[in-house]
Amino acid sequence: MRVVTGVVGNDIHVVANRLIEISLKERGFEVFNLGVNTYLEEFIDAVIETDANLLLISSLNGEAEGWSRDLLFLKNRFDLEGVLFAIGGNLSVGEATQEELEPKYKAYGFDLVFHQVDLNEGLDQIEKVLKESN
Amino acid sequence: MFQTERNIITNTPYTDSFDFDEIEEFVRNASKNLFISHRFKNSNKILVQPRGGFPTYDKVFELYREFTKAGVDILPLTIDSNTRLNDYEMAKKMLALSEETDENMLNGYPLINHGYRITRKMVTHYDTPISLRHGTPDARLLVEVALASGIFEIEGGPITYLLPYSKNFPLDKAFLYWKYVERLCANYSKLNEPINRESFGPLSATLQPPAIVIVIQLLEMLLSLEEGVKSFSVSFSQTGSLSQDIVSANVIKKLARKYAKQIGCGDATIHLVYHQWMGAFPRDKEFSDSLINTSTVIAAMVRADKMITKTRDESFGIPTPEVNAAAVRNTQYTLNMLRGLPTISDPQEEEHLTEMVDDIMEAVFNDPADTLWRQVFNSIKKGIIDIPFSPHIINAGEAITVRDKEYNIRFYERGKIPISDKCLAYERSKIKLGGKSLVENIIDDIGIML
Repeated sequence: MRVVTGVVGNDIHVVANRLIEISLKERGFEVFNLGVNTYLEEFIDAVIETDANLLLISSLNGEAEGWSRDLLFLKNRFDLEGVLFAIGGNLSVGEATQEELEPKYKAYGFDLVFHQVDLNEGLDQIEKVLKESN
Repeated sequence: MFQTERNIITNTPYTDSFDFDEIEEFVRNASKNLFISHRFKNSNKILVQPRGGFPTYDKVFELYREFTKAGVDILPLTIDSNTRLNDYEMAKKMLALSEETDENMLNGYPLINHGYRITRKMVTHYDTPISLRHGTPDARLLVEVALASGIFEIEGGPITYLLPYSKNFPLDKAFLYWKYVERLCANYSKLNEPINRESFGPLSATLQPPAIVIVIQLLEMLLSLEEGVKSFSVSFSQTGSLSQDIVSANVIKKLARKYAKQIGCGDATIHLVYHQWMGAFPRDKEFSDSLINTSTVIAAMVRADKMITKTRDESFGIPTPEVNAAAVRNTQYTLNMLRGLPTISDPQEEEHLTEMVDDIMEAVFNDPADTLWRQVFNSIKKGIIDIPFSPHIINAGEAITVRDKEYNIRFYERGKIPISDKCLAYERSKIKLGGKSLVENIIDDIGIML
């Protein structure tokens, strides 16, 4: 399984990003980590270039919402059928719950949304969905 | 040719017009008390330096007054993030807003916008050495203004101010821009006491392996000395393991002298700077006080020449001048108790660490490039030098470290870092993951002080 990951927007928090990369590798994924401070277009380009099965975007400073609004537009421009879109981390600048944020981000075009969810728990869910869709 | 470059760099509307003759005259006649190199020579205690900087002149002036009352040895001048990224227009706007509203709209002092003429007034008023703290890949103009202001210690370097601070600033450019800084410091060093350069050993402050920290310290030292700098400080931050701190200090002191001599710079003075814990701080302020006290004891045990302090408000944000000064006062109090400590060493661990450092240094020097900076540049590109938790795209990010049960930081994966199989086996033999996944171990290891 190939996965593209990275931190969206002008967010330079690198520690969690490295932990995600290590965890994905431990689980046997082939990881293309674009690192911090990555724009949505760059993620989509990388998904196409690597023929990835999964795009896992993370955010710590909460800016992700502003950056995710163009996802549907980009998804429609390219053939990204069969790619699983997941986002996780701290998905709101102010306080918000998973229940509030999940429908919002699903409307932006994400299949899986993890707001302040434990990393391993999120990755377990992702693996489950990937298995089912195969 | 260097002067032509200086004329171009300093010719900007964002700072005072440079009068090079007047600046040279000022440095030649400057009070010895402004030079940390002079202070190092004439002091038999660990010098205490906090961190700190505010946007306006008045607030920095007040901060320095608090520090002075608390018995500070070295004053800091921390520069704002816009200036660090060379965005002087934004710094100018935010400075104007800060002055208008009395709110701090910048996280440091925009030195270039203030200019050297006004800043020098504050520097000479306090007549205490000031250390420039920033994080700037291209610090040419900043250092010109700092030296002209009477700030005679410059922190940073092409590796330590790039790999932890930037995603894609070109590393080759950083080397050339810092070469300018080194030459400038070397030239000014001929006029009075030497300008001191200091490297930033904490790097990304997250599970940094001592071998890599020391290699980077040595390389930045060599890059500086080869341009003619005569006074240099290597540094590292508290690792979380008392014994690893002692081992690191003993090895870095020994190797700094060895490698300086090897390039014919044995006449330079090398100092050791110790950073109090740079990782995540507890939310409990009493715990923070306890952590800071422990750091102070370790600084004394490793026989540092200077220590950089933290505050009990670390996990809450930028401390007030009062809280910051209280940390200085407490640190001085603790230090005063710590006299005549025994000398400790761990020959086996020191030999092991020395071997890893020497192996990496040898690989750097074996690069076929014609100059040291190109060898170092290639080594970083190839992953011979690789730091955990760097945001920079050039950093390989393949090395993985975890703590052993005594909290020593050990290599779990070496990536392309050329440490021997024997050394890696020794490192790995110390690690016990204890039934948890690697990532769970790393998360625990990052948060040991919480």
